[in-house]
Amino acid sequence: MFSQIFILSPRGDTIINRDFRSDLPKSTPETFFRQAKTYSGDANPLFTVDCIQFAHIKRGGLYIVGTSRFNLQPAMSLELLDRLAKEIKDFCGVINEEVLRKNFILIYEILDESFDFGYPQLMATEQIKPLIVNDPIQPQPDSVMNSLRPKIQTFNIFVPNTIGSQAVQRSVLNKNQANEIFVDIYEKLNVLFNSSAYVINQSIEGCIQMTSFLQGNPPLKLALNEDLQIGRQQGQYSAGVTLDDCNFHECVNANELDMNKTLRIQPPDGQFVVMNYRISGDYAAPFRLFPIIEEVSSSKIEVTIKLKACFDAKIIASYANVRIPIPKQTANAYPELVKNAQLETAEYDSNKKMVEWQIKKLCGGQERSLKIKLTLQATQTAHTARKEIGPIAMSFEIPMFNVSRLQIKYLRIEERGNTTNPHRWVRYITQSSSYVCRI
Amino acid sequence: MSRPSASTSSSSRSSRSRYGKEVKELQDALNQNKIESKRDAIRKIIDAMTRGKDVSMLFPDVAKNMETSNLELKKLVYLYIINYAKIMPDLAVMAVNSFRKDARDKTNPFLRALAIRTMGCIRVKLITEYLLDPLKESIKDEDSYVRKTAAICISKLYDVSPELIEEQGLLKLLDNLLNDGNAMVVANAVCALLIVQESKGTTMLKLNPYIIQKILTAMNECNEWGVIYCLDALAMYIPEDGKEAEAILERVSPRLNHNNPGVVLSACKIMMKFLDYLQNPETIRQNALKMTAPLISLLSLGKEPEIQYVALKNINLIIQKRPIIIEKDIKVFFCNFNDPIYIKLQKLEVLAKLANNDNIQQILHELKEYTQEVDVEFVRKAVRTIGRCAIKLEKAAEKCVTALWECLKTKVNYVVMESIIVIRDIFRKYPRKYEMILKDLCENLKSLEDPEAKASMIWIIGEYVDTIENADTLLANFSENFKDEPANVQHQILVAVMKLFLQRPNDGKELIHNLLKTATIECENPDLRDRAYIYWRMLSTDPELAKKIVFTERPTISDSSYTIENELLDKLIENIGNLSSVYTKKPESFVKKLRDVLNSKIADKIDDVYDQDQLMDGRPEDYSDQQGGQSNISDNIYDTSSQIQSQVQQSQIQQVSQKIDLLELDDNQPQQQQPQQQQIPQQQQIPQQQQIPPQQILQPNQIQNVRVPFAEVLTANTPGSQTQIQGLSIEAAFQKNGDKIVLDLRITNKTQDKTFSEFGLKFNKNPFKLQPDSIEIPCQPVFPGQTQVTQSSINTNGPVAEEPPQMPYKIQVALKTNLDVFYFFIPMSLSVLFSSTASITQQKFIELSQAQNIARKQEVLQIQIDPQRMKEKLERNYFFLIGVRKDERGVELLSYAASLVNGMPLLVNVIHAPTAINLQLQVPHPTLMPLLYQAIGFILTLN
Repeated sequence: MFSQIFILSPRGDTIINRDFRSDLPKSTPETFFRQAKTYSGDANPLFTVDCIQFAHIKRGGLYIVGTSRFNLQPAMSLELLDRLAKEIKDFCGVINEEVLRKNFILIYEILDESFDFGYPQLMATEQIKPLIVNDPIQPQPDSVMNSLRPKIQTFNIFVPNTIGSQAVQRSVLNKNQANEIFVDIYEKLNVLFNSSAYVINQSIEGCIQMTSFLQGNPPLKLALNEDLQIGRQQGQYSAGVTLDDCNFHECVNANELDMNKTLRIQPPDGQFVVMNYRISGDYAAPFRLFPIIEEVSSSKIEVTIKLKACFDAKIIASYANVRIPIPKQTANAYPELVKNAQLETAEYDSNKKMVEWQIKKLCGGQERSLKIKLTLQATQTAHTARKEIGPIAMSFEIPMFNVSRLQIKYLRIEERGNTTNPHRWVRYITQSSSYVCRI
Repeated sequence: MSRPSASTSSSSRSSRSRYGKEVKELQDALNQNKIESKRDAIRKIIDAMTRGKDVSMLFPDVAKNMETSNLELKKLVYLYIINYAKIMPDLAVMAVNSFRKDARDKTNPFLRALAIRTMGCIRVKLITEYLLDPLKESIKDEDSYVRKTAAICISKLYDVSPELIEEQGLLKLLDNLLNDGNAMVVANAVCALLIVQESKGTTMLKLNPYIIQKILTAMNECNEWGVIYCLDALAMYIPEDGKEAEAILERVSPRLNHNNPGVVLSACKIMMKFLDYLQNPETIRQNALKMTAPLISLLSLGKEPEIQYVALKNINLIIQKRPIIIEKDIKVFFCNFNDPIYIKLQKLEVLAKLANNDNIQQILHELKEYTQEVDVEFVRKAVRTIGRCAIKLEKAAEKCVTALWECLKTKVNYVVMESIIVIRDIFRKYPRKYEMILKDLCENLKSLEDPEAKASMIWIIGEYVDTIENADTLLANFSENFKDEPANVQHQILVAVMKLFLQRPNDGKELIHNLLKTATIECENPDLRDRAYIYWRMLSTDPELAKKIVFTERPTISDSSYTIENELLDKLIENIGNLSSVYTKKPESFVKKLRDVLNSKIADKIDDVYDQDQLMDGRPEDYSDQQGGQSNISDNIYDTSSQIQSQVQQSQIQQVSQKIDLLELDDNQPQQQQPQQQQIPQQQQIPQQQQIPPQQILQPNQIQNVRVPFAEVLTANTPGSQTQIQGLSIEAAFQKNGDKIVLDLRITNKTQDKTFSEFGLKFNKNPFKLQPDSIEIPCQPVFPGQTQVTQSSINTNGPVAEEPPQMPYKIQVALKTNLDVFYFFIPMSLSVLFSSTASITQQKFIELSQAQNIARKQEVLQIQIDPQRMKEKLERNYFFLIGVRKDERGVELLSYAASLVNGMPLLVNVIHAPTAINLQLQVPHPTLMPLLYQAIGFILTLN
């Protein structure tokens, strides 16, 4: 497995460096950084230099790197690094350079409990918590350094775009914390429309994620929809929620899922994904796009895009962005919003040849539209250029809404002791993963 | 740090003094009684260490704090020791006693485990043996946390001293741990056995139905990483029959629903392997289908794209072996708009594999969409995939050709070029079937920038010279720039013109004539020239035969060029989830030749065990035949009073002896001996070191002067000073050999192709005036991959540096080779520098100890040793007992003294306490203090 694990700052300084096997040269962090910098964008997560295998992930701008001399398991290695990042986040609250530099001793401790000889040992936060003697040092919010530094980046491992809740950005070692648990149901949508708004391909990737600050880690019972069905039979139609496949965190006992639609959970500390699921069946897409392209003259094209929010009026999408690629031979493009449009912008980026339409808030049932007037360069006719328009990609987030209708009926704490009833926070969030309309 | 350099600029001096001040402050903080100040000091030290600063000079001060009962402080100290143990093995030895004590702590299992875990990280061969006893106890510890740590610790120590671990039966103990009641312990034992297995190269984990049951049971209870170890072990098992395989699959298949992709892939590996043992087709089908949903889930579920990529690569292998697993779910492999390019390309690869006559329409429709995207690489691959489908599915070929025809009509440059390349293959597979697109092809001749597309187009024209009316003009146009074209285009022009001439002699006559002339006279490419000559001769002898040869029927092509050979496929299936399956290469091809590394490792270990062996027992009788006859000579040369003869020295003796032989005997003898001598370290010593009874290693009865372990002083990636050459690795140690100081060098050539020779050695000025007797090092050339051990005698008549030695004391050395000059530092233990001749009388001792300008310090050494044994040890190393007296409280005070080679006296008063010894050190210069403390600790602990 890993020979070394090191964490580098964005500039390549070593913050943490733990050598487990001493079978690789000491200069591997430099070798890694040099190689990583040769990539134009982000470096490949796995690469080999001089028979040394490097696996790395990037979190909070930091490189978390594992090295090996052997035929390592890439999926497992990346998962390990990801878990390590989660552990560090659980202990320190956030991952960034300052926090890591302040807490490097603590991180060495975590590393030593998590790995022995480079092999993973205990990686669950609540298991190693009793073995850790150092307390996390929080960066001082009032210090001068802090005001000079850009705001602490917030990191939510599953959905980087979602606004992180302050409540979950804290250390599990904090002893005076409230007794509470956060449950998030995330759904990411993949939808592909053709030009007539007909769905070609669609799927949902979802997960139930918990962030537990429960005192004493009491067992939980989580109940899901009663019409839940797992595994899709060919040709069979079911009115309920049908999951194609799901898998669970190891703290979850899913034996009763088929019978009672309940999960028994022995919650660890901090953040963990209770269940991942996948739905490939039909569902009502929350947004529909209707593009219309008109060749006004041989050098002018007009693109009109209508966007319709097909969900309940009580629900409000927190943002919706539409990106429309336009022909490379475009001389100029004028996006026009409807008159007195509010919380809406549309801009043309001439470098990327892209029109970006941003809508800040969108209530269910509403309809918006955008008109783009394109002027082409003389070298291309409108007839050939129109093929270069699209595909239109959309990104959005809709809080308190989920497409699959998978619901948490209740979350019970099974052995309620003398402690006060803990707070339970449940959020539903639907996001776009790949939401594309072809033209 | 002593870095005696000829010119010290004032700025570096001031930075050094600031550095020195910091060090002093840290030292003071460490010596205070407050835990907090100590903790903060060590934090600062570790911070500096992480940033690559050398804080090794603080080792004695840090190590003193090991005995603390404060866990936090202890962890910090351990962290420090692990880091410096490898480069300062002599100092690490001082930590042994504390480890041994902690590992037996009765109250706190966590402390025991911490000690076991940390001491496994020290990786100093010399002290491995001291760790065996506590390790053996910890394997039987009542606490599972300790046992699971001990399991891994065995594999760690095996990496350092494999022979010792085997002799001591620790591997058997590890086997026993498989029966442990705790799942985590079993999983770690499995893991440790697999590690040992990998480095040893023979089966260590003997899998039988009983062990398999144990592993299966453990797998249910341990954590996900443990599950992976268990699954990896199970994957190595060969089931006795289909029934057993089925039973195991039954237990393994629930793991497919884990949300850790590592677990899922490891489980798939077993599934794929064991399916081969099942007979009933229905059972095979059912089990195979269990993998479908989990594999597809790896592609989604918010997993990082990297994991998706690994999954796709593995799916690609799996469906080639068992297509049934993913037959229906082609939509999953349709590319998402926001997939990274490497995912998209891999998805196309899978789609091509999944294409069949039923789903081709759907796939083609999707592929056509991809050809309109912006990413050139992706578009080209999409076009190529359409071509693959055409070649794979004869029934669907027409649809594919139609799709490609549409691509041609887009007139987008790269789409057209790629389509032409693909159409060439289709024409080869289905000759004369799709001539209708020739017209559109010929409209795209101008935009062919890509040589492959150009070559393909010319081939197509040549193939259809009879159908394409203006083929002669087209080819004439292409031939115009014949000389400037790349080789593959030139070839195709030649072939096409040849075809033109054979089919339409009148149109091609002039063209072929000119072309053959150009190709044979002006071209420098031998392949092209030869082909032209052959054509020319064929045409001049028998044009009809030439026609037959040129238009001969070609072997058909198929899609199989994209499939992996069965043998490799099986190998890759065994490696599902490993890097090998992602690279689609056998592990051997990219993992550094493990065996080589291993061999060199074993050679290292033999050296060391041999060192120890000789250190303890004197020279073995049966060293070698040639040695027998020469021992007298060597005895004459070397002082027999000192019996430490390391292998290093042995080989040295041989060399010296051979030189004497050269004088006395005839010439052919040394020539015969030369090769033999090189073989000795590998061959003759292996059986020998295995014969050493372990007790002898563990309980050294005889006492000699202390041997300083080798330290790596030059790493292979340090460049030389002039030509920046890399690849020379040097380990070095100053030793006391009798009353002489010698320098042992172990020179390893880690380059692939360079040979180092003509070694020369020079020291920088140093306080003890050390210099080598002669600049040359008696050493054969070191060939790539080889290691040579040499010894140079050192005298004390060199130039003197004014700076006093500091902690850690190192000597700067320049090593000249035929290729470059290398500079590095060799650590020096003060124990080497005790003079064997100087005598300090009692009178002198009292005088000296009352002197004014002498530095005094009290130190405690945590070591249990009786006075008699201590006297023996010290005197063996020229540290003499001067007298014994009682102080005012009646405590016995032993006075020892030694003088350094430069005449400086070192005085020590020793008080023996039950568990430690108190030292009162008196030295003429304060910087010598830590060095002396270190040297005494070293002599007493190690010897």
